[in-house]
Amino acid sequence: MVDLKILKSGRVIMLLIFLLLSIVAIYPNPWAKGVAIRGVIKEGPAYASEMISPKPTSAPMTREVINSVNNIPIKNIEDYAAALQTLMPNVTAQIKTNKGSYRIIPQYRFEIFTVENESVFENRTSEVYNSTLNKTVNVTELVKVPKRIKKYKENESLDFGLSVYNAPKSNLRLGLDLQGGTRVLLQPADTVTKDQLDNIIQSMEQRLNVYGISDVVIRPVNDLEGNQFIRVEIAGLTEEEVKNLITSQGKFEAKVSNKTVFMGGTDITYVCKTAECSGIDPSQGCGQSQNQWFCRFRFAISITPAAAQRQANATKDLQIVSAEGGSYLNETIDFYLDDQQVDSLRIGADLKGRPSTDIEISGSGTGLTQQAALNDALQNMKKMQTILITGSLPVKLNVVKMDTISPVLGKEFVNSTFMMALMAAIAVILVIFIKYREIKIALPIAITLVSEIVIILGIAALIGWNIDLAAIAGIIVAVGTGVDDQIVITDETLRGESQVLNWKERFKRAFSIIMVAYALTVAAMIPLLFAGAGLLKGFAITSIIGVSVGVFITRPAYAAIVERILKGKY
Amino acid sequence: MKQKVMDFYEKHYRKLMLISIAIFVLCIAVIAVHHIKTGEFIEKGITLKGGSLVTVQLNTPVDVDAIQNELRKITPEDITVKEFSSSAGAQLGIIIETTSQDATFIKDFLNKNHDVKTINIETIGPSLGESFFKQAIISVIIAFILMALVVLIYFRLLVPSGYIVLCALGDILFPWAMLLLLNVKLSTAGVAALLMLIGYSVDTDILLTTRVIKRQGTTTEKIFGAFSTGVIMTLAAMAATGIAYLTTPSEVLKQIMMILFFGLVADLWNTWFLNTALLKSYVDRKKEQQNG
Repeated sequence: MVDLKILKSGRVIMLLIFLLLSIVAIYPNPWAKGVAIRGVIKEGPAYASEMISPKPTSAPMTREVINSVNNIPIKNIEDYAAALQTLMPNVTAQIKTNKGSYRIIPQYRFEIFTVENESVFENRTSEVYNSTLNKTVNVTELVKVPKRIKKYKENESLDFGLSVYNAPKSNLRLGLDLQGGTRVLLQPADTVTKDQLDNIIQSMEQRLNVYGISDVVIRPVNDLEGNQFIRVEIAGLTEEEVKNLITSQGKFEAKVSNKTVFMGGTDITYVCKTAECSGIDPSQGCGQSQNQWFCRFRFAISITPAAAQRQANATKDLQIVSAEGGSYLNETIDFYLDDQQVDSLRIGADLKGRPSTDIEISGSGTGLTQQAALNDALQNMKKMQTILITGSLPVKLNVVKMDTISPVLGKEFVNSTFMMALMAAIAVILVIFIKYREIKIALPIAITLVSEIVIILGIAALIGWNIDLAAIAGIIVAVGTGVDDQIVITDETLRGESQVLNWKERFKRAFSIIMVAYALTVAAMIPLLFAGAGLLKGFAITSIIGVSVGVFITRPAYAAIVERILKGKY
Repeated sequence: MKQKVMDFYEKHYRKLMLISIAIFVLCIAVIAVHHIKTGEFIEKGITLKGGSLVTVQLNTPVDVDAIQNELRKITPEDITVKEFSSSAGAQLGIIIETTSQDATFIKDFLNKNHDVKTINIETIGPSLGESFFKQAIISVIIAFILMALVVLIYFRLLVPSGYIVLCALGDILFPWAMLLLLNVKLSTAGVAALLMLIGYSVDTDILLTTRVIKRQGTTTEKIFGAFSTGVIMTLAAMAATGIAYLTTPSEVLKQIMMILFFGLVADLWNTWFLNTALLKSYVDRKKEQQNG
C-alpha cells in the first residue's frame, strides 16, 4: 500500500531534512537526570571552587548538570535538597557534574551587610612594575575598604551557594507563565535615548549578577505609541526581591569626613572615557591578595566650581600626614553607591583647601584570575562613569506591570496544554476522516500536522524563543490554517472540473489560494509585532513562523504525497 | 442529494442572505445598546484597563460567591471572583480580578482564611492598560486595512473584494457581541485572537471568490464545490478551537479559543449565505451586462 517512491520526491526529502534538523535542535532527552545550575552565588563556596554561572542565553541542554554529591546520585531537586542535609561543616564535599568534578567546602547561606561609615584596613599585595629596578616587585600596602559583615544562616542546612533546577529534558525554553517566575515591565519616568536605555539595562544586569541571579532576561521594548519599556524576566525569585533589586535607582556620592562634596549627575561637568585619561591604572596595575586578583582603574572627571568649593571647604581643616612616600590628608574621600561605600581614596596634600575642578576617580575590580579581575575592574569603571554622568540610572523606573507565576501552576498548565493540543489534533483528524472516509488522505494530513509542530518547536529551540501560552495558541492557529490548506489541496486535486487539467495545473490553483491565505494571516499579525509592549509578540511570531513553515515546507511535501497516492485513482 | 441542495439554494438564497444580514444588524444593536447603557463598546479586562489579576490554587474547593462578598467588604474597588476548573470539571482554583493596584490585601485575606497552594499576581498600571487598549484598536484597524489591501491586490476587482471585507467585519462583530452577551472581559490575548480572526476567517471567502470568479463552470456548481471544501475547513477549525476551549484551564487560551470559535461559527453564514449571495448576484449582473 505505501509507495516508498514518495521518499524520492525532492519536496518530501526537504521535509524530512527539516524534521531531522528540528529534532537535533530540540535535542530531546526524556531520561535527563540531575539538577542543572541556574546561577552561582558570588562569593559563595561554589564560586570559590571556580564554578561559573551559565549565560542566561545559553541553550538549556548545554547547562552544567550536577549528577552526584559525595557519590550520592542526584536525580532531581529533591535528591539535591536531601544531599545538602547530609553535608558536614568544614568537610570538603565532592560534586560531580557532566563537565567535571569539584571539591567544595560547604557553608551556611549568608547575607552580606555593609556597615555604614565603618572601614577596615586590609593588606593587599600587588605586583607593581618598578621602573628604576626595571622589574616587577611585590608591594604590600594597607588599603582601607568598607567593613562588611557576612551573616550566616546557621539554622538552615549547609549549602554550596548554587541555585539549581531539575535538569532540562530538551532545548525548548518554557515561557514564564509555564515555568514560574516573575516578569516586570518597567517604564522610565522620562524619555531616554537608546544609549541611556542600554546603560540602564547594563547596570541592572550587574546588580542582579551580584546576587547570583543569572537566569534573568532584560530587554528593551518599544510599542506602537512610542512608549519605552524595559522587560525583566526572572525565573524563581519572589516578587518583593525582584522589586527591590531592580527599582533602586543607584546614586553616587563622594564624601569627605562624612560631608557630601559632590554627587553624580548634577555636580559633574565632564567624565573622561577615552584611553588617555581612563582605564586600568598603569602605576598600580593588577595584583594578588590571598587567593584573589584585583586590578585598579582610574579616570579623570571635572566637577563644577561650586562642588570644587565644597571640596576645598571640607579639606581645609584637615591635617597633612606622611605615608608611603607621599603627603596625604588625614581623611579619605569615600565613594558611595546606593549608600554603600564602594571605595575610599587618600587625598593628596596639595589639594588641601584648594578648589580644584579636576579630580581623578579610582576604584578596583576583583576576580579569581588576572583576566577576570581586569574585566571586573573595567566593568566597574564603566558603571561608575555612567553613574557619574547621569547621576544614577538615568531616570527613575516605574513598575507598570508585574506578574508572578508559581512553578506549580505553570506545571499544571504544561500538562493540560499538552492534553489540549493532542485532543484538538484528534478532533481535526476525525473531521477530515469523516469527510473523506479515506485513511490514505487522513493519514498524510495527520503526519503533516505533526511535522509542522515539530518544525515550529525546532525553530523555537534554535532561536531561543520562549514557548509561553500565547505561543502555544499561535502554534494551534498555525497548524489549524495548515489543515485548511491541505483540505484546499486535496479538494482542488480531486475536484471533477480539474481532472482535465494536469497535476501541475491543479497544484498551481491550490497554491494560489494558499498563498493569499498566507499573506492574509501574516498581514493580520504584523501590527501585533509592535503593539502592547511586545507581550503578544510570542503569539505573532509563532503564528508567522508556523504558517511560513506550512506554506514553504510541509504543504509542498503534502502535495507530493497526495499526488503519489491519488494519481492512479483519479 | 447534491442537486436538491443546489435547487434549494437557487430558490432561497436571498432569504438566507437576509438571515445573515439580520444577525449582522443584531450584533451591531447589541454593541450599541451596551454602549448606551455603559458608555463602553467593550468590557475591558484588567490587562486593558489596569488593576490586578490574582490566580489562586487551593487545596480545598471554596465557595466563590462567599469569597467575593467577603472581599467586597474589604475594598471599595471593583472586585470579581471566578473559579477555574480542570477539563474534568473539578475546581482547580479561583481567579480574582480587581481594579486595585495593590493585591496584598487579597493575598493576606486568602492566606488567613483558606488553604492556599499557590498564588499568582499580575498587576498592571492603569496608564499602561489604557495604552494597550489604544494600541489594540490601532492594531485591529491596521490589520483590517492590510487584509483589505491583500484581497484587493489578489482579485483586482473592487466589488467582490468589498464583499470579502464586509464578511470579515461580520466575523468580528459576532464574537464581539457574544463577549458582551456572555459578560466576558476582553484581555490583550483576546485582541490577538480578534486579529487572527481577520486573517483566518476570510480564507473561506477567498476560496469561494477564487472559484466563482477565476474558474470555469456554472455559478451554482462552483459555489457548491467551494462550499464542500470550505465548510470542512471551518468545521475542522471549529473542532480544534472548541476542544481547546473546553480542555484548557488557562484563561488566556480560553479567551483566544472562544473568540476564534465564535468567529468561525459566524463565518459559516457570513461566507455561505451573505458573501455567496452577494457574489452570485454580482456574477449574474455581469453576465446580463455581457449578454445585453
